[in-house]
Amino acid sequence: MTAPADSRSHRAQAVHLLYGRRPRRRFARASGALLWLVVAYSWMGGQFHLDEFFSPRRLDNMRRFVRELTPYPLQGRAWDWRVAAAWLGDLMDTKGWAAGATTLAVSVIAIVLAAVAAMVLSLPAARTLAASEPYLPHASAPSRLRRGLWASLRWSTRVLLIFLRSIPEYMWAFLLIAILGPTPWSGALALALHNGGILGKLSAEGVENLEQASLGSLRALGARRRQVVLAGILPAVIGRFLLFFFYRWETCVREATVLGMLGIVSLGYYIHDSRARQHNDEMFVFILLGSLIVVVGDLASAAAREVVRRRC
Amino acid sequence: MRSERGIAPRPFPITARGVVLILIAIAAAASVAHLQVTGAGVAPSRGGLVVAARFLSRAASPALHYESDVPPGTVPLMWKAATAAQTTVMFAAAATSLALTGGIVLAFLGSSAWWASDPVGPSSRAYWWQRRLGPCVYAVARVLTAFLRSIHELLWAVLLLAAFGLGHLTAVFAIALPFAGVLGKVFSEMIDEAPRDAAHALRDAGASPLQVFFFGLVPRAFPDMAAYAFYRFECALRSSAVLGFFGFPTLGYYIAASFENLFYGEVWTYLYALLALVIVSDWWSGAIRRDFVV
Repeated sequence: MTAPADSRSHRAQAVHLLYGRRPRRRFARASGALLWLVVAYSWMGGQFHLDEFFSPRRLDNMRRFVRELTPYPLQGRAWDWRVAAAWLGDLMDTKGWAAGATTLAVSVIAIVLAAVAAMVLSLPAARTLAASEPYLPHASAPSRLRRGLWASLRWSTRVLLIFLRSIPEYMWAFLLIAILGPTPWSGALALALHNGGILGKLSAEGVENLEQASLGSLRALGARRRQVVLAGILPAVIGRFLLFFFYRWETCVREATVLGMLGIVSLGYYIHDSRARQHNDEMFVFILLGSLIVVVGDLASAAAREVVRRRC
Repeated sequence: MRSERGIAPRPFPITARGVVLILIAIAAAASVAHLQVTGAGVAPSRGGLVVAARFLSRAASPALHYESDVPPGTVPLMWKAATAAQTTVMFAAAATSLALTGGIVLAFLGSSAWWASDPVGPSSRAYWWQRRLGPCVYAVARVLTAFLRSIHELLWAVLLLAAFGLGHLTAVFAIALPFAGVLGKVFSEMIDEAPRDAAHALRDAGASPLQVFFFGLVPRAFPDMAAYAFYRFECALRSSAVLGFFGFPTLGYYIAASFENLFYGEVWTYLYALLALVIVSDWWSGAIRRDFVV
């Protein structure tokens, strides 16, 4: 008699059941709620005032700033492409090209140093490898002392990696410049420290996620730990490692630009310098040049990662 | 015969991997040559070594009180560090929320799954304006995200400081603008790569493109998007701390000030405060990622 209604209620029941069985992630939800509370609290308590942007004085300042973005020889005159091009060419020849090259060089050295450090540090940080009998079932339980030694090696490496990556590049550079002086090498080292921490963590996870059985069979054939690393782990992990390598190199290019503001003669140096002298037109050119280098770096890195993903 | 040829070594046994590694080595060598390894550049000077020794010797004993005489009534050092940490979190949270808003809009406008003439395969009915405007809006959104992303947050800070002067909103926007670009790019890629099964089912049931997008595609990408948003919050924390070097009252400001006054113990106090923030948020976003994956 009430077949349609019945089937509808059946469907409703089924839907209700499905809804009840949906995956619920309490922790993620609670975290989301907490984060929204923090956001609301920040907006209310952070002393953000819109009139910072729109008070008459600020607007005047803003107008002056926009006016000063015009190349200096052309300020207050009609626009002339030839003058603008000559101004730009001069700026690039005296500062732009050299600073851009230094920026790239710093980023490349930084990421290579970081990669070497990360490869080395990821081995003792990997749970599977840094054990008394890696990849093999124990014939007899290892002594408490040996287990403790391996665990302390593992944990001290991990703490070092966390420390390295928790301090931002800019702060590492700030500290290193006080020690090494404002040379490009302080910048490269600062970038290498932070990125070494990140790459080390990522590749330690990569080593842990390798298939255990094949490494175990190497060990069962009598390979020593060093041989397992060279013949088993490195060849298997290097593909993923190169992906991370290029992905972090992108960030290194961005950061290498900025570190110049601390005194290293990369692009940031000239950005800081022209800002201090209130040459907003030059500052704008250098910022755009930095953004261009970042875009080119992104494209190169994306192409390299594509090659690595397909062929390595 | 054939098997023999299969075993025979190739004349040039260089794999793609080898080529990549060699190119990296060449780039590194060229960079080293460009920067010129000079003794003074690589080895620290004696003064530098003294600074390093003094600084590192305080690592295990961060200051609990000010290392200089302060006027009476100054808040205790620990309280000051806590306040600086709080400001750091506030800037980061405000910036992340702004960046999320902008990033979601940019991701919607810049996702090829939405603008493609056939969003989720044949027989889907695109709106007429979607077909007409699609390529233009898609291109503009993509260029805008690339532009926002390509300027580092500290350079945005320099630009905004020059344009508007020092204010808390300046810091928030300096972080939010590039982060909106990053989120827009990553979110749109996540939406484009999300499984299309639910979207196809909705389309076949007669849903409109908007419904397909928001109820078929976005929910499949949501766990990845949420986890990534938390990760960006962690990045925002670091950026917010660094913005202190530009005069904003976050942790970086106090680190720079104490370091320049040679109060290395105080520097470590603030550094450990930053470390605590970053480690907690790192653990938190990791836990959320694991919660989503399982």
